[in-house]
Amino acid sequence: MTPAEPERLGGVVRALLSHYWRHPWQAVFLLAGLVAGVALWSAVQIINSHARASYAEADFVLGAQATHWIRSRSGDGIAQADYIALRRAGFRQVFPVVQARVSTVDNAPLAIIATDLLALPEGMAGEGGDALGDADLDWLAFVRAPYQAWFPAAMADELGVAEGQQLTLRDGRRLPPALIAAREQQGRQIFMDVGAALSLLGRDTFTALAVGPISPDTAARLAAALPGDLMLEANQQRLDLTQLTASLHTQLTAMSLLSFAVGLFIVFNAVRFSLWYRRPTLRTLRLVGVSVRALTLAIVTETLVWSVVGCALGLLAGLGISHALLPSVSASLQNLYGAVVGADLLLDPVTIAIAWGMTLIGLAFALAWPLLLQLRGPVLPGGSASAGMLAEARARRVLLIGAGVLALAAVGVYWQMASVIEGFVLLGLVLFAAAWALPQALASAHRLLGRALAGAPLVQRWIVSDGWAQLPALRTAMMALLLALTANLGVETLVGSFRTALAGWLDQRIGADIYVNSAQLDTRGFVADPANAGWLATGHARTGVTLRWQGRPTKVYGLDTTTPDTRALPLAQSEPDALARWAGGERLILANEQAHYLGGLRLGQTVTLPTYGGATDYTVVGFFHDYGNPYYQFYLPREALARGWRDVSSTGLALWLKPGVSAETAEAALVAAGVQPGEWFAQGDIKRLSMRIFDRTFAMTAAMNTLTLLVAGAALLTALLAILHERLPEFAQWRALGVTRRELLRVIAVPLALFVTLTWLAAIPLGALLSWLLIHDLNVMSFGWSMPMLWSPTPALKLGLLSAAIVALVLVIVLSQLTRKLPQAMAQLGSAQ
Amino acid sequence: MKAVFLLLMALLVGPASAQGDPYQVLRSTGEGYASVVPGRVFEFPADHLPHPDYRIEWWYLTANLKDDAGRHWGLQWTLFRQAMSPATDTEGWDSNQIWMAHAAITTPDGHRHEQRFARGGVGHAEVRLENGAFAAWLDDWLLTGDGAAMLPGRLRFTVGEAVIDMQLASDTPPVLQGKSGYSQKSAQGQASYYYSQPHIAVSGSVTLDGKPTTLTGTGWLDREWSSQPLADNQQGWDWFSLHLADGHALMVYRLRHDDGKHWLSGSWVAPDGSARTLAADEIELTVLDTRRVRTPSSANPEATRDLPLAWRVSLPGLKREWTVRALIDDQWMGGRFPYWEGVVLVDEGASGVGYLELTGYGR
Repeated sequence: MTPAEPERLGGVVRALLSHYWRHPWQAVFLLAGLVAGVALWSAVQIINSHARASYAEADFVLGAQATHWIRSRSGDGIAQADYIALRRAGFRQVFPVVQARVSTVDNAPLAIIATDLLALPEGMAGEGGDALGDADLDWLAFVRAPYQAWFPAAMADELGVAEGQQLTLRDGRRLPPALIAAREQQGRQIFMDVGAALSLLGRDTFTALAVGPISPDTAARLAAALPGDLMLEANQQRLDLTQLTASLHTQLTAMSLLSFAVGLFIVFNAVRFSLWYRRPTLRTLRLVGVSVRALTLAIVTETLVWSVVGCALGLLAGLGISHALLPSVSASLQNLYGAVVGADLLLDPVTIAIAWGMTLIGLAFALAWPLLLQLRGPVLPGGSASAGMLAEARARRVLLIGAGVLALAAVGVYWQMASVIEGFVLLGLVLFAAAWALPQALASAHRLLGRALAGAPLVQRWIVSDGWAQLPALRTAMMALLLALTANLGVETLVGSFRTALAGWLDQRIGADIYVNSAQLDTRGFVADPANAGWLATGHARTGVTLRWQGRPTKVYGLDTTTPDTRALPLAQSEPDALARWAGGERLILANEQAHYLGGLRLGQTVTLPTYGGATDYTVVGFFHDYGNPYYQFYLPREALARGWRDVSSTGLALWLKPGVSAETAEAALVAAGVQPGEWFAQGDIKRLSMRIFDRTFAMTAAMNTLTLLVAGAALLTALLAILHERLPEFAQWRALGVTRRELLRVIAVPLALFVTLTWLAAIPLGALLSWLLIHDLNVMSFGWSMPMLWSPTPALKLGLLSAAIVALVLVIVLSQLTRKLPQAMAQLGSAQ
Repeated sequence: MKAVFLLLMALLVGPASAQGDPYQVLRSTGEGYASVVPGRVFEFPADHLPHPDYRIEWWYLTANLKDDAGRHWGLQWTLFRQAMSPATDTEGWDSNQIWMAHAAITTPDGHRHEQRFARGGVGHAEVRLENGAFAAWLDDWLLTGDGAAMLPGRLRFTVGEAVIDMQLASDTPPVLQGKSGYSQKSAQGQASYYYSQPHIAVSGSVTLDGKPTTLTGTGWLDREWSSQPLADNQQGWDWFSLHLADGHALMVYRLRHDDGKHWLSGSWVAPDGSARTLAADEIELTVLDTRRVRTPSSANPEATRDLPLAWRVSLPGLKREWTVRALIDDQWMGGRFPYWEGVVLVDEGASGVGYLELTGYGR
């Protein structure tokens, strides 16, 4: 490089970039694509890494680390005297925890968590000092009547709770005055003093005792010091959560990568236009003797500038979006896995680095590569329309071949697929194969239409053949639209199928009239009590034990084999006559689908479970649906469970009322038996509650769906504006020849409508394929839930209408631009190209 | 009067006042609580137990000990009770009582301390008769009497890894401080009920790093309860409890006033337990040396303060005068409510040993 070249390079960069000063909206589109892609991707990354960081704190309770839990073997809770005895024996790491579910007047579930702040061991009460050090904590008010109920801000908003207000529960009890505040790891729970919680719940026992960091020696002494009913168990929640939530995070990442891809389509569009406009600039620069090397450097510089600006803005937007999405992700995680996710979001350097790297690679493909290609071409190109058409046809063919390769790869992956990640690779291959094949499909359909209109009036033929001029510009936008529409339809069908399957399953499973879950109630005694015979048709007292199977928390339930719900247990897969054999058989067991799909268990195989008498083998005769449960679960007849395990606890009671008996009669009997209001649910309430949890869980999916579609809409707008600006001189000539504005609009709108319609039509079967893969493969691999796929035309119609609306909006914008710019373009007719 | 008292009050009133003037709360009127008036008749062992009508109360033990090699050791163990409201609702989780405890040990190698908190009413911390015997505890920190009286008794606690187990005994009666146990704290009438046991024979062991050390020495017990002890213009105090080699015990304190006219008081206790209250004009306290002491906190691990760690204590009426100097500088009680309290030597140990407490010295 000669000494003068650095200065010349500066001049060249300025000359190249001056284009964006003259066409600022072009810079806006380029940035919009980058920002949209980076923002959605980074939002999900931020949420994912934040959630993972929260799992690392999963063994913390309200800011205090809990390495172990002390629980009651019988499920009765921990007597206060046992706790005090441990503290007085010097086990200061032990602190009480009360957790409970109550319901609001509208029957929305509320989780309550309580502890004694003064008992949290010093130095383990959270960041920045001990529990009493929080500047915002008036703990005198916290520990003293009327106490305080701490609502995280998002929860307070949802419930409409104002500071100082006492929320009324369904049974009329009132929470302590609300404070809008949250402690670490509080999650979507209401935090209060342990004394307040015990009095609110009418209990005198703790749910569990948490144990702070202790040495193995102390843990052994503690275990030995526990009364017979209590047991010490290591807190494995951190490991469990990381394992259980992996699939969900993979799904979120896949959706965010899709968004990034759609964002890149916008960049492609924008760049295509910028290339067109800068051809003369590049040509002039070459003609005045700027070297190819200097131009290359200038192009690299431009790419770097855009990548930094786009990435920075995208990350900022991503941070904002992640804040908006976090509540629904938190809800999903808490509903599905009980994982508490904090509210503080941060951008970490790794996310920033990856975002910048992805932006650079994307820009290299979309901006730098085409610019360089152009640079290496002849200085004075032929520039004829026919050459352009030929190049376009060649590009379509290349894309089609690429699509074929991707499709073949997809078939290959499908046969080998074993993990969730491979599943998403497959989805990506399918989606992009379809997208790359789309331009050729559109061209073929267009050609067919042209032939069909061979004898039609000139205007019709002209309008249709003008589609050939639009197709190159619309190509990428249509691909983006196809991706967005397909993803939308696929996910819609998945969610709809899941919802229907869940509702049907709930109808079958929640057959009893009332469900009771109370530590106070002697469930079998209550069912057997002759005093209840007047109103009670049947009762099903379930028992259960919690253990670990294949390293995961697993519940084994003991069912009464004679009750209606057991007799009609819906099985997803079973051996012949499975239920009858299971009810009467020795060592036969039912397992949930998760144990089949995720645990690798098959019909007829044996499961080995750690029973009281040692490891015992049970033969699997059936798998039952168990939607929404991330854990493995087994069913044994109640008697078989009692034979196998000593520490069997009551896990709930289902009650069927005699015909004509009112719920009030049953509730009065329950209260008389010591059950607290809020510890029973009517059938309808449980179903409503389950569906509400379901809807909350999929709120994130819906949000991502909408955002992807918006990005696709933006891609469409940029494409059309590019067309408008590329062809403005052409349109001006037409106007000069007497073509009306209305006719001009038809020339633009009809091919566009044709392409969008074809894309939409292509998205319908593709969406079905996507949902089929999601339901039959990915969902099963991720969660272990199987369900029938239910295809419905409604989402497709809705999306069709939405696409039409977007097209209409885009046309309005284009028309207004046209109206504004056409006069000037006509004035310049003949002055330049 | 003890420093932690003030700090506890600051704690209980919450962050707003802690950020402002923590002393302000001590000057609040104590309205609704029982008030301290002269002429109260003390009854033992009943008065060893809590007086929940009063806002604040403590059981405060220090001991100066020596090992077989003649090296100086020190122990401090304190249990504080605080009522959060005038109501005497003392049982269950709704109890208005809150407990705090501080403990420290000074060894030939240094000083270590610990603080604890607990709710009243649930057995986590209490002072009461258990099976007829006096018991005061918070977690496993435990002071028990052999009978309903505190003494003879046993003190067991831990500070970090150090395990302390001491037998306590005394054959002299409690000393009622001030006017028959009515201890005036200002000219405006602020006062507390206050009695001490300055002659306690202490023996037992401290186990450090698994190695037990046998220790013997003398201990000092303070019992005090009140509802409003500080006057508006009092900023902090300097407090001495000294075991003299001739068998006498001396307690003197100075409540420092804004205007330099400090409130002084004390008592001179004979070996047989008979005591004489010292008036302000009978006591002279002079700072001989101020030392820069490391006073680390979680907010500032590098913090230091200038503290008066060498004094001349004079009783002109008795023609007695001593030099009192800290055994080691580093006896900072750096908990949530920091102050200095530690072992002091009288005339370099020739005339006795004791404890000194310093509060209200800013950083």
